[in-house]
Amino acid sequence: MLYRVIDRADVPSLVAAFMERYEVVAPVRRGEKYVFEAVSDFDEIALDYPTTIASPKKYFLPATETLFAFDARENAVTDYVDEVRPRVLFGVHACDINGIMNLNSVFNDPRYPDPYYRAHEDATLIVGVSCTPTDTCFCHLMDSEEARPGYDLFLNAIGDRYLVSIGSVTAANILESACDVREATDADRAAFRAATRARQRAFNPAIPDVQEIPMLMDAFHEDAFWDELGGRCLSCNACASVCPTCYCFDIRDTLDPGAETGRRERVWDACTSPQFAMVAGGHNFRATPAARVRHRMYHKLNGFLATHDRSLCVGCGRCAAACKVDISPIAVLEFFERKGADDGE
Amino acid sequence: MASNARGGAVAVHPYHQGGPALTGAELMAANPYRPWPARITSITELTATEKLFEFRFIDDAIRDAFCHAPGQFVELSLFGVGEAPISISSSPTKKGFIELCVRRAGRFTERLHRMQCGETVGIRGPFGRGFPLEAMRGHDVLLVAGGLGIAPLRSLINNIHDCRSEFGKVTIIYGSRNPQEVMFRHQFEMWRHRKDFDLYLTVDHADDTWDGEEGLVTKPFEHLEIDAANTFGALCGPPVMYRFVVQEMRKKGIPYDRIYMSFERHMKCGVGKCGHCQVGHQYCCIDGPVFNYWEAKNIQGSM
Repeated sequence: MLYRVIDRADVPSLVAAFMERYEVVAPVRRGEKYVFEAVSDFDEIALDYPTTIASPKKYFLPATETLFAFDARENAVTDYVDEVRPRVLFGVHACDINGIMNLNSVFNDPRYPDPYYRAHEDATLIVGVSCTPTDTCFCHLMDSEEARPGYDLFLNAIGDRYLVSIGSVTAANILESACDVREATDADRAAFRAATRARQRAFNPAIPDVQEIPMLMDAFHEDAFWDELGGRCLSCNACASVCPTCYCFDIRDTLDPGAETGRRERVWDACTSPQFAMVAGGHNFRATPAARVRHRMYHKLNGFLATHDRSLCVGCGRCAAACKVDISPIAVLEFFERKGADDGE
Repeated sequence: MASNARGGAVAVHPYHQGGPALTGAELMAANPYRPWPARITSITELTATEKLFEFRFIDDAIRDAFCHAPGQFVELSLFGVGEAPISISSSPTKKGFIELCVRRAGRFTERLHRMQCGETVGIRGPFGRGFPLEAMRGHDVLLVAGGLGIAPLRSLINNIHDCRSEFGKVTIIYGSRNPQEVMFRHQFEMWRHRKDFDLYLTVDHADDTWDGEEGLVTKPFEHLEIDAANTFGALCGPPVMYRFVVQEMRKKGIPYDRIYMSFERHMKCGVGKCGHCQVGHQYCCIDGPVFNYWEAKNIQGSM
């Protein structure tokens, strides 16, 4: 990895350089909270944001995406051209970059690479930025507190400057043309180490660090805990909407007025929806909220790990903030912690 | 695919990447969500609610490239209505045509049942992992179907039929609720007199028209003699059937990893993404829908 140092004061010209060629999407303050949205000026960007309401996954997997157009009279696909906007996601935290890496491994699965996802991915540059954990952050427990691959630039804040990790040639060229770029010195590296340690100390100690999560997920699969947790679930899908790694979707046909032509679309869906696992004839393989909440947690904390060798949950904590009834992986970790304490006595 | 064009939007052609003409397999792989036009070439009424549809791809390159294994499924499109995953009922040995057995059960299948020969639909696939036909060669096979579960198993049965000498003893148990719901009755009635298939047709509730067995699909196991160490089991049916049939197969001594079953789930995308067909950590559409019992035991929530 190539590292360079830039001054904080250089960041506006870096953003301006990106804006010449790309749509720039960045964290923006909205009331008390923050969201990712397109910006036209550096001053709109809140680079020191705690977290955003929703993740930037919509720029890879739009909430509604047309797969193709069809003619219902002929019952045939009509050729369809999608449009993808070259874009820079500016100011993405490590958890979200790891979330995007997880989506990549699903949608770029060599058995069935997804051409739509790939088009978004190819058109998107990612500029990461270091962060300070909020009360619901637990990325360090999900091995996602650092982004290793997965970005074009990563800005590590060290006082009045940034230690920049450079991940791609395209981004390197823009960085060098827009900023006064220096080699990193021993002092820069010492500041980076100090910043990293400060972040590590800033995590909420009340969120338990549980070992062997996959084993516990299997061991307590039938525990009454899931009935209690799922019994509260409102099936509102807020968790899945804000989650950086919930990628489930429905496929549906939408007819144009007149019902002669239409589009096949994929729209976000969630395994917490009551009808999600229903088959023709009406049998529902996950008929209760408890079964659905358990399945979602199972996939986040165990199932994905079994097939992709990493946890699907990246510990961004958004679901914990979004859920009205306090259901999140944190509640699961706390349950395991209680169980561990019980067993120890 | 996206180019490196700057500024405004980039045109993406999800169907073709330009350059030289693609083969049928390459065309299908370029966009796994794209259905290909197929014509209905035959419709056979099986029961009051089930019909067997035969399809033929219109595009020569797609037709030639399409090859499936017993147990795999396709996504069938009626544009404006939607898409449905349907297991393939025909044997791979039947080239150029695909047969799908469809029960009228909802909006999509209602519409399909109203269609006529010569009309066009969209088909993409085949998807999923089917029955391990190669491993089964040279062995005895015990096939158990319940109700509509005969649809995917018929692909395997007909495939075995077409290369019968490559298999040992073949036993088929097919259970239905009542005589009116027995599908492919004509084919099976003829087979009852064959010496190279042991066929047991059962119905839960018999009537005057029935001269076969009455009882659950597990009943023939009472007098079944099998060479367990040399037998593969294959089963497909309603979810409630699996536990009981697997139990019978285990009692006979068939090894865990030689009992194969097809799971019914709603595979919406077919390509391991949309999540609807997830069982535990597996996707029915790419890891299944056929799993062996050992795998199934290791999938949370599978049975």
